[in-house]
Amino acid sequence: MKRRLPALVSLLAVCGVLAALPFLLGNYNVSLAARVGIYFIAVLGLNILTGYTGQISIGHGAFMAVGGYTTAVMSRDHHTSLILTMLLAFAICFVLGLLVGLPALRLSGVYLALATFAFAVSVPQLPLKWSKFLGGRDGVQTSRTVSHTWLYGAAWTTSAIGFVLAWLILRGRVGRAFRAVRDSEIAAVASGIELPVYKTLAFGISAAYAGVAGSLFVLATNGFAAPDEFGVVLSLQLLVGAAVAGLGSLWGVLAGAVFVGLLPTVSSSVPVIGSNHGRDVVFGAAVVLVMLLLPGGFAGLLARLRRFAGA
Amino acid sequence: MTQSAAATSATRAVGGALERLPPPTSLLLVAGAAGLLVGSLRSEVFAQLTVQGLALGAVYGSLALALVLVYRATRVVNFAQGELAMATTYIAYQLIKWGLSYWEAFFATLAIAFVLGTVLELALVRPVQHRSVIAAVIVTVGLFILIDGVVNWIWGGDFKYMPTPFGTKTYHLGGVSIARLYPGMLGVVLVSVVLVWALFRFTKLGLGMRAAALRPAESALVGVRVDWMLAIGWGLAAVLGAVAGLMAEPSQFFLDPTLMQPILVYAFAAAVLGGLESPAGAVVGGLAIGVSLNLVVQYVHPITSELQTPFAFAVLLAVLLLKPSGLFGHREVRRV
Amino acid sequence: MAVNRRKVGALVCALLATAAAASVAAASHTSTPGVSKNKIVIGGTFPLTGFASAYKTIPAAEAAYYAYVNAHGGVFHRKITDIILDDQYDPSQTVPQTTKLVEQNHVFAVVGSLGTAPILSTWNYLNKNKVPQVLVATGDAYWGNCVHHGCQGSTKPWTLGWQPDYPSEAKLYAHYILAHKASAKIGVLYQNDAYGKNYLAGLKTGLGSHAGQIVDAESYNFGDSAQVIAAHVVKLRAVGADTFVIFATPTATIQSLVARTLIGWSPLTFVNNVSANRVFELAAAKSGANLDGIISTGYVASQTLQPNLPGMKLAKQIIHTYQPALDQDFAAGDLNLVYGLASAWTFVDALKHAGKNLTRAGLMKALRHMNEPKNPFVYPGISIKTSAKRTFPMEQLVMTKWSGGASGDWHPFGKIVNVGH
Repeated sequence: MKRRLPALVSLLAVCGVLAALPFLLGNYNVSLAARVGIYFIAVLGLNILTGYTGQISIGHGAFMAVGGYTTAVMSRDHHTSLILTMLLAFAICFVLGLLVGLPALRLSGVYLALATFAFAVSVPQLPLKWSKFLGGRDGVQTSRTVSHTWLYGAAWTTSAIGFVLAWLILRGRVGRAFRAVRDSEIAAVASGIELPVYKTLAFGISAAYAGVAGSLFVLATNGFAAPDEFGVVLSLQLLVGAAVAGLGSLWGVLAGAVFVGLLPTVSSSVPVIGSNHGRDVVFGAAVVLVMLLLPGGFAGLLARLRRFAGA
Repeated sequence: MTQSAAATSATRAVGGALERLPPPTSLLLVAGAAGLLVGSLRSEVFAQLTVQGLALGAVYGSLALALVLVYRATRVVNFAQGELAMATTYIAYQLIKWGLSYWEAFFATLAIAFVLGTVLELALVRPVQHRSVIAAVIVTVGLFILIDGVVNWIWGGDFKYMPTPFGTKTYHLGGVSIARLYPGMLGVVLVSVVLVWALFRFTKLGLGMRAAALRPAESALVGVRVDWMLAIGWGLAAVLGAVAGLMAEPSQFFLDPTLMQPILVYAFAAAVLGGLESPAGAVVGGLAIGVSLNLVVQYVHPITSELQTPFAFAVLLAVLLLKPSGLFGHREVRRV
Repeated sequence: MAVNRRKVGALVCALLATAAAASVAAASHTSTPGVSKNKIVIGGTFPLTGFASAYKTIPAAEAAYYAYVNAHGGVFHRKITDIILDDQYDPSQTVPQTTKLVEQNHVFAVVGSLGTAPILSTWNYLNKNKVPQVLVATGDAYWGNCVHHGCQGSTKPWTLGWQPDYPSEAKLYAHYILAHKASAKIGVLYQNDAYGKNYLAGLKTGLGSHAGQIVDAESYNFGDSAQVIAAHVVKLRAVGADTFVIFATPTATIQSLVARTLIGWSPLTFVNNVSANRVFELAAAKSGANLDGIISTGYVASQTLQPNLPGMKLAKQIIHTYQPALDQDFAAGDLNLVYGLASAWTFVDALKHAGKNLTRAGLMKALRHMNEPKNPFVYPGISIKTSAKRTFPMEQLVMTKWSGGASGDWHPFGKIVNVGH
């Protein structure tokens, strides 16, 4: 109990800061903070898959696309309430994640990375094929748009719910099974863990998180969903976020979300390289450096610091 | 080695390779080749699509071969292989602007690419390679973004024009117009691939590289500088990538930073189709994908051009699920 | 515990005070954002990097023109600052960049932003907040059609186009075919989105009862490889078309022009004016395309064909003084530069008509009641006009034909045509 208190206090502090932020920041910065929240949800989900069950996916941008388009199309055609569309996105992407997770069972490591990469490149092509329903290149517009404050509230509330949900899943039997799968599949099976169930479940959960993040992502783009928004770079960014986060730490996920949510925007203000090229140069270099220096991600760094402080 | 001995050895190698192929695969290849020939003789459109498909497929195969080389050497899939190929093409562009002729720039670029590949392996991949697959993958992802950014920074994202290496001549064979470009592309790639193959097969260096990739510990004991072998592997891969980029550019008629991005997906599919460990497979896989993409989009009506990358994905997925070792690979049993 | 409670209380009070101060600071604004005694701040989003970055010379030319105006005293002694942001043609970047322009840079107006999808992703937001979104660099018909009629749920009175719209241009090609090649078998290659589809619809409207003469319309997707494009060209020839109409973005246009020559096909060919920038045709020629006889349209003056026009001399001088790195590009005939200068000229003209007491509503009023017969950078004889009934600023085009082979140019022929609405 005593050890949990500092963690609880820091958690409450974070909540307090998050609640106060919209009143302190200008409107534009609130939209940036909302963006970080959206990436937090997606990176959290991907971290469950990659960090906890060791399955690499470079395809989660595709799940974001499915979630985003669900929101856009439902809102455009049926004027569905936006929160309801988010729940729909969660459900649809959970099922889709299970379906993707099934063939993924037969792939591992590099092969899974390749297959999910191809998935990420292919899915944004689909709105071009079924352009009457999915808007083609010119996109789908929701019937309602939201303010930055709404987005901020929705993103961080969803993040909080997502985090609690993840914490509950991971501390229980499911979490132990996940960790066993990651550490050694052979040992896990020997202990009686049904691999297919847990590996597929992890895919489903992470996809569902990405789906909700996708809904919010479209809402953050003024409710406009278009294929150009879901290029393969998005999936790459999510994976980078999960890697930077490392595993086993909430703070890590927050760091990962800030890294991919803010760094590209901040990079464009870098002098010398020029505001419009700095983005990719600085961001790309940062990714390489972080992985070289901190292969365990931010969580690894924290663990090291804790050991240093506690020892 | 005398000439006749070399020839015998080469023939034996090819024969050996064909023997080692599982029967269904060699049958499939022969049937496919026959089908292409028959179709080309009957329809001009089919012939043009086949020639273009083979030429482009050679480009996919070259990049796929680069991916396979890197994977065999260091167990890393280099997601930045395409962008590296694109960057080396820009270097060629710059050399030409500074006054070199096309072919002078071509060979100079290959040399520069070799150095770049080696340096990248030493500086960026070696430190993380042993830690985890994911760390190495992320490094190559970061490299993807970084190279793209640097190219855009130095040269900008608009179209650049390079002289055509093969001129604008068109051949007319029995009523079919074939631009000299396509046999040219095919020729250059095949020559490069054969040269690399010869390097591996007939030289001491090549033997060392194969040994270092297959059995690093044992090779070190025998005196092979494993570290250097791996770095050279990356260098050669970069050279193959540069060839792919330099041949992709004329097929598109201009140069821009997105040159290799769709090709990367097809190269992955080709590498997987051929078997991630099989160099020959990568090249044949590339040719197969190049031709089938063209023909499928033309003749299979529900599959229109938007579905090209999904089609390649479907191929990739089917191979991974049905025969993960690819057409040319050997089964690796790992039951859990 | 009492100590802690006091600490917490102090913290809460500090937070509230900061919040109050921040909201007060945020609330204070000048009455018209972006306008001060000696400055006007405007901004726009453009694909400066990424696959559409061939268009980045447009904002460069606009910046050059504003620098020229500033050097000559500005507009009512106000100097124009133009904030050019990169969105890579990606709506998910256009939105935050536009938000930044409005809410952080407090621009007076969003001027000249490029791309249909990027504009569509921000027009609801800008119209809702009554921010002018004007002289957008795309020829989609939305910008004229949605002023009085609702689109996606509401009218868009704060959005204004500039260049002649695509469907009208296509109608012109249809009329030319009917007049000069009445029995043509028409093959169309069009981009599979609103851009291409609107062109195709315009062509069909222009052909009227002869629309059946379109033997095949092949769609391609932006980003398709040259081989896919070539396969479409092969198909069009195979079905017997003897007239080839290309409604594409420059990349695909170059590739289809080359493809058609490589397969030995020489139909009567039309390209849209977006792709009729001389530098694109020169590139196609370098890869073997046979260009003579291709038809298109134009609406800006040409620095290569009409270098002695006072407007073109001025253009050369402005580019040389303020964007010297683009001198070579200008000399090669990059029409994007002339486009940018012409569009900026229109904006400055509107600013002058909006008067010294500059407001956003005043700008829109000036832009909706324009009469510009003598924009120096526009093709002589073409005028820019708007009124309550006329929501498309440019409704005239001149037909052009390429001659001179690999180092040739687009030569205008015939009279200026009114495409009307």
